[in-house]
Amino acid sequence: MSHESQLKKVLTEGEFAVTAECGPPKGADAQVILKKARLLKDKVDAVNVTDNQTAIVRMSSLAACALLKTAGLDPVLQMVVRDRNRISLQSDILGASALGIRNVLCLSGDHQIFGNQPQALGVFDLDSIQFVQAVKGMRDDGLILGGDSLDHKPDMFIGAAANPFADPLGFRVVRLAKKIKAGADFIQTQCIYNLDRFESWLSMAVDRGLTQKAYILGGVTPIKSVGMARYMKTKVAGMDIPDDVIKRMEGVPKEKQREEGISICVEAILRLKELSGVSGVHIMAIEWEEAVGEIVERAGLYPRPAPDRA
Amino acid sequence: MITGEQKPVEEIRQMIAPYKRILVLGCGSCVAECASGGEKETAMLASALRMAARMNDEDVTIEEMTLDRQCVMEFVIQLDKVIDPYDAVLSLGCGAGVQAVADMYPEVRVIPGLNTEFLGETKAQGVWAETCLGCGDCMLYDFGGICPLARCSKQILNGPCGGSVDGRCEVNPDIPCAWQLIIDRLDRFGALDRLEDIYPPKDWSTKQGAGPRKIIREDQQK
Amino acid sequence: MINAKRRKLALFYCRNVPESREKDRQLLEEACGETISFFPMPCSGRVEPVHLLRALEEFADAAYVIACPTGACRNFEGNLRARKRIERTRSIIEAIGLERERVGLVVCSKDNPKPLAVLAREIMDKVSSLGPSPALGPKALNEEEKGI
Repeated sequence: MSHESQLKKVLTEGEFAVTAECGPPKGADAQVILKKARLLKDKVDAVNVTDNQTAIVRMSSLAACALLKTAGLDPVLQMVVRDRNRISLQSDILGASALGIRNVLCLSGDHQIFGNQPQALGVFDLDSIQFVQAVKGMRDDGLILGGDSLDHKPDMFIGAAANPFADPLGFRVVRLAKKIKAGADFIQTQCIYNLDRFESWLSMAVDRGLTQKAYILGGVTPIKSVGMARYMKTKVAGMDIPDDVIKRMEGVPKEKQREEGISICVEAILRLKELSGVSGVHIMAIEWEEAVGEIVERAGLYPRPAPDRA
Repeated sequence: MITGEQKPVEEIRQMIAPYKRILVLGCGSCVAECASGGEKETAMLASALRMAARMNDEDVTIEEMTLDRQCVMEFVIQLDKVIDPYDAVLSLGCGAGVQAVADMYPEVRVIPGLNTEFLGETKAQGVWAETCLGCGDCMLYDFGGICPLARCSKQILNGPCGGSVDGRCEVNPDIPCAWQLIIDRLDRFGALDRLEDIYPPKDWSTKQGAGPRKIIREDQQK
Repeated sequence: MINAKRRKLALFYCRNVPESREKDRQLLEEACGETISFFPMPCSGRVEPVHLLRALEEFADAAYVIACPTGACRNFEGNLRARKRIERTRSIIEAIGLERERVGLVVCSKDNPKPLAVLAREIMDKVSSLGPSPALGPKALNEEEKGI
């Protein structure tokens, strides 16, 4: 089993990277993860595993990442600051590294009110930017917060998330700059449907020199149905779905909608490939991992560079 | 001020059920300001409880009194003269008031009639909002006078999180995004560049690092 | 306000209600003082929930407030305040199992202002179907039956 970050290798070698997402089950069955692993193997460079997304209790991201490693994939451990204090966050980084996990994505997390444990205490001891900074300190200086030294430094490729479409728009790039200043090596964005708006955000990032300091992977999500498109447009904060995307989905019969959704996704990736400053794509095919392979192939991104064998 | 809201009357009636002589005790400070435990509210609740008792054929005496402050010993001691006949006190003070009375009169059952909520301000008539967590290490200067711990749903010190819509928090659109407020405020002072620096992790030890807190001021002691 | 004698209605009214002056009140009390207790107020906005609750607790089967029409309050918004307080009082009595209708607000008509006597009769008609109030205790209910 390789204990190197394939994602880091692909990006540092200048290749357009491809990552996907894998949601752990609401249960203790390892097979669910291993099944998803089989669908994604060789189709992508690395696979993100979500961390109790939407504050719904699921198998832990750390455990699911360890399972993905046994299947030969390069996991990206997503960690939210909602559920754990700085002691256990830093502890989990050490544990993840010991298990050979080499990528971490540091996130705030959705507020507990949205999930199935609204009575839970939200911890929020650190915020996502302080967490990025803490991981960097552990990795580069072998120090935890407060200055105590570690026996052995963790090896992590550090990531953070960015939303080019969120309020307040004027401040988004400042926050992106802070994440990179804190130590983020790579950034994965929220899913993009409005390429024009994404490009204006990107140009601001380029102007600040941020694309020289961190790798930006544009997020995409294939739309399954008109219903899904409309839901995301109206009900999900921080999403920009242009009307012509909705119209395209409305314009095809029900049986053809999935195919249309995949086409729209592929077109977005092709546009992202053209943009300098974008180093890769992050495909979030929620509960539709089977679509990832087709998307990667149609976007001309298959085969993926082979990982080194340890 | 400290805010709170009255518990539902069914819950109160369940708690006072075993007692025969009850003193409903109001407080003239914070809870009067938020219209939940002041003299008026005490009179209203006592009347309602007496009616309920009569309607259910319950043999109980319910009387009322209001102290200026329930959290200060000098005021609580005024109960010395009156407390003997009662086997329970239904306190409409905040949690501090309830406990001050209970500590002073441990032989009397002191029952909370309010759910104490937060440290906050009266924003408009009839509207109170949470603004302070009592962290023990005030950072308001760094954030233009808006506390990101008390007013940001995720206590983010390097915000905003990206979930807000039109300056409203994703958790509840009634809540303004604290970070939008902070950005606007610092912009007004021409201090927006302060937000480019990474704010370090909060030292929570001043809030809970050594257990329940106490302040002792020798210059104030007898 | 503690009046041991049972009344069907405690009536709080704004002094701007037509024909509600001292003399009119005395005449009304002679006519129906056994059934209605009259409480003149400088403004309906001065009625607090505790007044209505104490009335229900001490002697009244029902407690009503008469207020001026919207926009016509001499104290600008006393009648608006009265509306909110009536609602609050209704919630409180409902929570203890008493009918909401035992407390109410009647707003004078701007175009067709009725005198106090007429309004009092109209409110009595409204509340008489409620029967004796259980808040005055089962003992009081028995007294009612006995015709005391």
